[in-house]
Amino acid sequence: MEIRLSSVLLATALLSGCGWFHRGEKAPPQVVADEAEPEPSIIEPQVNRREVKTPKIKAKDFELGGYFGALSIQDFGTNPVYGVRAAYHVSEDIFLEGYLARSKGGTTSLEDVFPEITVLSDSGRNFTYYDLDVGYNVLPGEIFLGRGRAFNSAVYVTFGLGDVKFGDVDHFALNFGVGERLLITDWLALHMDVRDHVFETDLTGRTKNVDNIEATLGLTVFY
Amino acid sequence: MRRLLALLLLQAFNVGLVHAKERLLEVVVAQPFLEMHSGPGRGFPVVYVVGRDELVTVLYSRTEWYKVRAPRGQEGWVRRSDLALTKLASGEPAPIPAYPQFSSHRWEVGAGYGVFNHENLVTGWGDFGLTDSLDVEFVVEQALGTIDNRYIASIGMRHTFIPEWKWFSPTAGIGTAYQYIDDIVPPKPLQSGNQLAYVSLGARGFITRRFMWRADWRKYIAFTDQNQNEEPEEWKFGLAVFF
Repeated sequence: MEIRLSSVLLATALLSGCGWFHRGEKAPPQVVADEAEPEPSIIEPQVNRREVKTPKIKAKDFELGGYFGALSIQDFGTNPVYGVRAAYHVSEDIFLEGYLARSKGGTTSLEDVFPEITVLSDSGRNFTYYDLDVGYNVLPGEIFLGRGRAFNSAVYVTFGLGDVKFGDVDHFALNFGVGERLLITDWLALHMDVRDHVFETDLTGRTKNVDNIEATLGLTVFY
Repeated sequence: MRRLLALLLLQAFNVGLVHAKERLLEVVVAQPFLEMHSGPGRGFPVVYVVGRDELVTVLYSRTEWYKVRAPRGQEGWVRRSDLALTKLASGEPAPIPAYPQFSSHRWEVGAGYGVFNHENLVTGWGDFGLTDSLDVEFVVEQALGTIDNRYIASIGMRHTFIPEWKWFSPTAGIGTAYQYIDDIVPPKPLQSGNQLAYVSLGARGFITRRFMWRADWRKYIAFTDQNQNEEPEEWKFGLAVFF
């Protein structure tokens, strides 16, 4: 495209330049070739072909936003959690999503009863995770508010894997979730999610799978 | 000469101005009618219908749906296959971009699960195709073990043997990597980082639209300072989007 543009520019520049240099002279006589002359037509169409460029259509398949909610860390109480999320919508059904979030564990019941016991250090109570998920929109539809207002929505399920860092140790974690996306406008969405992060740990002395369920509310922008 | 330069500049500026203005695609409905849905999906009802020979403006797309504006200002979502039947004002078919061909796609981004030396592995990758059958792949992974936690970054070349096989096509590759080892259980590892080299065998296949899967087995050699090199093994499976 650039090459074409610059050649057009160059050609115009040359033409106009030539015109300016030869402005005092007479135009050279036109030489008409006789031999390859087609049958004469009455009207010679003098149409300047215009280069028509059709505009491109913007794709708005990405979704980016943040969320906030409560995370129940097994044995360590329920605590606020906040994070960011980014998604790419592959088709009307499937999307890929990534999450990055942070929370902080509270005290175990053992620590509540015996305050002199500490199970984890302060930095060890930080609960951070990232997830890579695949999601499926199972129930696309509309939510009606009153008689004359409807919002597009979709209930989706997600499944994925990632890392949970808790107790200063990284754990491989699976996550399962269900959520609802409510489109306030076509570019702004409200999310309500419930997700469970499952991983194996021996933090409380015995190796076991722990479920860490979070309920969050988020806002995302499509672009 | 100066005039020439000025003219040239003016022209360049003009072209720039024209390009800076956002123009939206306008298409003429060539089929008997065009259905507009309330949302980008088959679950959303038809809320408006545009008749033949009417002009609609295409605003943007989301997955396989296009948001359009009807002549009287109503907006709605049109399925790609319906929009592809419309025409430009000149009579040419509407330039609805096709999905990238799977066999000749250039870019790929994906993530997946694997096992590295009996440890759980989370992997993410980006891929650039130099030709249809030769790719450069960049992979970032985290292996979460009980003794250590490793971060591995690798770059390599991969050959797809028969790229035109859509559902299953074998691949093979070689490359180099670097691993950072973060110990969980003492003692500390003798080296917290090594360089690695690998060979890989794998396969890829198409799922739908821009969506694909990839499986890979890798044999690494970790160049350590000790008498023996480590030889970890890895396999993984993931899903990716291609462009």
